[in-house]
Amino acid sequence: MAGKVKIVKGSGGFGGPLTLGIEGKKDKVMYVTGGHRPEIVDRICELTGATAVDGFETSVPEDEIMAAVIDCGGTLRCGIYPKKGIPTINIMSTGQSGPLRQYITEDIYVSNVGVNQVSPVDESDISTNRTDEADREAETVYTKDKKIMETRSEQENKSLLTKIGLGAGKVINTFYQASRDAVQTMLHTVIPFMGFVALLIGMIQGSGVGDAFANIMSPLAGNVWGLMIIGFICSLPFLSPLLGPGGVIGQVLGSLIGVEIGQGNIPPNLALPALFAINTQNAADFIPVGLGLAEAETETIEVGVPSVLYSRFLNGVPRVFVAWLASFGLYE
Amino acid sequence: MDNIVSLAEGFINLFQEGADVFIEWMGTIVPLVLMLLIAMNTIIQLIGENRINTIAQKSSSNPLLRYMVLPFLGAFMLANPMVHSLGRFMPEKYKPSYFASAAQFAHTSNGIFPHINPAELFIYLGIASGIQQLGLPMTDLAVRYLLVGLVMNFIGGWITDLTTSYVERQQGVKLSKKVKLDN
Repeated sequence: MAGKVKIVKGSGGFGGPLTLGIEGKKDKVMYVTGGHRPEIVDRICELTGATAVDGFETSVPEDEIMAAVIDCGGTLRCGIYPKKGIPTINIMSTGQSGPLRQYITEDIYVSNVGVNQVSPVDESDISTNRTDEADREAETVYTKDKKIMETRSEQENKSLLTKIGLGAGKVINTFYQASRDAVQTMLHTVIPFMGFVALLIGMIQGSGVGDAFANIMSPLAGNVWGLMIIGFICSLPFLSPLLGPGGVIGQVLGSLIGVEIGQGNIPPNLALPALFAINTQNAADFIPVGLGLAEAETETIEVGVPSVLYSRFLNGVPRVFVAWLASFGLYE
Repeated sequence: MDNIVSLAEGFINLFQEGADVFIEWMGTIVPLVLMLLIAMNTIIQLIGENRINTIAQKSSSNPLLRYMVLPFLGAFMLANPMVHSLGRFMPEKYKPSYFASAAQFAHTSNGIFPHINPAELFIYLGIASGIQQLGLPMTDLAVRYLLVGLVMNFIGGWITDLTTSYVERQQGVKLSKKVKLDN
């Protein structure tokens, strides 16, 4: 029973192959997939003898998790478990994306995995990849793996000129690194979404569906009662975790309402309550993960998930209404 | 023949419309958001994460600090999703409420500070681009979004205190109200 499995990426997927098996306390496969249980969870458990745990209902101490199975489209979850050093299997095809993309690497993450990508391995095939770092080289003044600036900054007695140079260098570097990060975010996160939404809007406008769509959308999003109905639906506790992932539903709804505002079918001041109406399900799918980041205990997560779902429901419609009150005088 | 040509034109037109929208966004929204991102990333780097941790430790006792000031500052400084890590300074009982509030600050502040949640920017930007198309300033909307959020996210966190007590009774458990920190 207690064998190992090899997991490769599916077509269009990223990362892997991962070799997993029970190691000491690490004997649980946690799946955080908003309600359903992917087939691969059962397959992995069958081959390795691990236990399956629904991460949405309960939590597992991190040192007992053998692997995490997720269905993240590329915002948060796909980076969180790799960041914690937990091997992560994504059933979606997401590659390195989202704000934590730098943690998503081939040795800890594999995506677009189905049952066919999971196969047993013979013990004899496995060799440990991890070798210790080679011994440090003897200390010298300048080493080949450090720039002169780095060597200087480690010296204890710095002259004033060195200090000024290092200080200026640090500030410039901070700006430059900030810029690199920002461009990465734009390229990998914002612009792809823009392309997707622009295509969607173009199809709706160019095909003539736009007019039909305006007929449905304007009465619903064109007055406060309709917006409150949207907010009510999105906040229903059994629906909100399904609408949450990646904020995709909210973002598409937002873009569609934006088009109608741009064409004058919806008054511009209703943009404010609309922002609240399309997002009453905000982060409902993310509760266990967020509480995990807050190092919450298992009990807290079990109480916290229903608690936040209920509070989202109680808050949802009033938020839309208050936003509508606050929209008086906007764009008049 | 003419039919085929007009069919092909109609087909291309589907994508031309999208392309126009896309390049307009690339020319207006992308440069602005990029400059904001760079500036905000730099400020955050220069201020450092330690200071916000200190504030977090002092904020757990008072609901106003806990569900309004801390999640607002935390979202600005640590952005989504790391803002949730500040919840570790809260007693277990208040962690769900902090999460509820912080997750909403990751959106309501996003209009003015897009670095907080660029992956979900289009919740705001989708609607705001309609405003832009009308030639109206987007900032008015962003400021009111932030202000309404400031009040309503606080209330949201506070109400979660009540729903947590309700679920506690339902499940027959009691969560600690004392802060517990290992490290």
